[in-house]
Amino acid sequence: MIHFDNVTKVYRNQNRPALQHVNVSIEKGEFLFLVGPSGSGKSTFLRLILKEERPTQGRVHVAGKDLSRLSNWRVPHLRRRIGCVFQDFRLLPNKNVFENVAFALEVIGKPRRFIAKVVPEVIDLVGLEGKAHRMPHELSGGEQQRVAIARAFVNRPMILLADEPTGNIDPATSIGIMKVLDRINRTGTTVVMATHDAAIVDAFRKRVVELEGGRVVRDQSRGVYGQAY
Amino acid sequence: MRAQFVLQEIWIGLRRNLTMTVSLVITVAIAMALLGTGLLVKLQVDSSKSYWHDRIEVSVFLCNKTSTNPSCNKTDATDQQKAEIKRDLEGSPVVAQVTYESKEQAFERFKETFSSNPGLLQGTKVGDIPDSFRVRLSDPERVDEITKLLANRAGVDQVVNEKEILDRFFKILNGLQWAAIMIAAIQVIAAVLLVANTVRLSAFNRRRETGIMRLVGASNLYIQLPFILEGAIAGLIGGLFAAILLVGSKIVLIDQLQESLEFTSRLSWTSVTGVIVFSICVGVLLCAVASFLSLRRYLRI
Repeated sequence: MIHFDNVTKVYRNQNRPALQHVNVSIEKGEFLFLVGPSGSGKSTFLRLILKEERPTQGRVHVAGKDLSRLSNWRVPHLRRRIGCVFQDFRLLPNKNVFENVAFALEVIGKPRRFIAKVVPEVIDLVGLEGKAHRMPHELSGGEQQRVAIARAFVNRPMILLADEPTGNIDPATSIGIMKVLDRINRTGTTVVMATHDAAIVDAFRKRVVELEGGRVVRDQSRGVYGQAY
Repeated sequence: MRAQFVLQEIWIGLRRNLTMTVSLVITVAIAMALLGTGLLVKLQVDSSKSYWHDRIEVSVFLCNKTSTNPSCNKTDATDQQKAEIKRDLEGSPVVAQVTYESKEQAFERFKETFSSNPGLLQGTKVGDIPDSFRVRLSDPERVDEITKLLANRAGVDQVVNEKEILDRFFKILNGLQWAAIMIAAIQVIAAVLLVANTVRLSAFNRRRETGIMRLVGASNLYIQLPFILEGAIAGLIGGLFAAILLVGSKIVLIDQLQESLEFTSRLSWTSVTGVIVFSICVGVLLCAVASFLSLRRYLRI
């Protein structure tokens, strides 16, 4: 599903590469934790999958496509097959829950009837039954993140990228968020989650890829956050 | 593509930076009105030029007792001199028609033309305008040949070419027209910069929305269209105001000009409509293209 083939990324005006010779293969339906300290290259890893950045060296394949050969006007089609969740939720404050989720479908030109059918299903899936007409500021952090997940998933993407989705949320609520991501993973969606949260990684026992200084220092199935001694 | 969504986005954008939109509309309106006025004046000048081109005459004034030309010796031209001049003129290849106008006929025509100006009539008497030949040329550009033909001819006081007088007048109109177009060009530059700024501000205001749109895979067209249409609509409103100003300038400026300068060819409303439609199209296109170009730097993939 996602293949990094000897990828190096050096940002302009920076000497130290953000990623160095990274080789990672993620299969369809996998759940992968991307761990490592700040500045270790986790976000760059995710941005490369979205083709928000180009690798300086090496190739990135997503869904069988070589991104370096993907022309710019095809990039929106790539992104329709990838959902994204962020630490800061990125909801539209002047739209309610339903409208926020529907926005993702409206802007890719889906018909209104389709939106009316699909959006409530996804709102239920993330556990926000009966809150479709709340505004974002009326919701807790955890609930806002559920809205963001619903928006990322409403178009049934093959891949869900989550960049520290529990970073702004207390540990108890985080478990709820993780359950939603796990439910999404069980539908066959590949989930890549960058995180600092050791407790969550240890509890879930999924594949762990650890980055340090832009290098993969560990790739372990059923891993934990810290090095297992 | 859902029209309602796009229209809603445009409305939000225009309302959010209302002051910028208003200044943009005003700038576009003035720029397009000036451009249109320049075009109207040009149309008027062109049609008058071709009208006059066919009617331009060269007047050959003959000697009389009040002539200042020393070769006249303060005497009237003799009949023999007149006959010779007429024969030579009619023999010339550039002359289409020659008519003789006596001083009595000239005085009658003068009285008719200036019938509304009694003061001028009182101070004028028969003989102030001398006998003359009115020569219509087959090609008004070849007036030199007539001047050459009659140079130092006995009995000829002076040769007056109407074209020179008209040319001077058309030069003024040409200047007016170019002044309008130059100011329009400067205004167009201002309009383009304003559009770029308005759209940039609009894109900045909605960076959260556009960021999400990019992320969920909205096509570039879908992201950019509301902004481009926003510019285009401001251009359209500006163009409509320009249309009103142009109708005003046709009534106030061109028609007044026609009356006071006795243009015989009137500018039709058809050509005014043409100019208005052209100005509106230019305004809309200008704004759309300016928004598109300024967006290219802002909403990159």
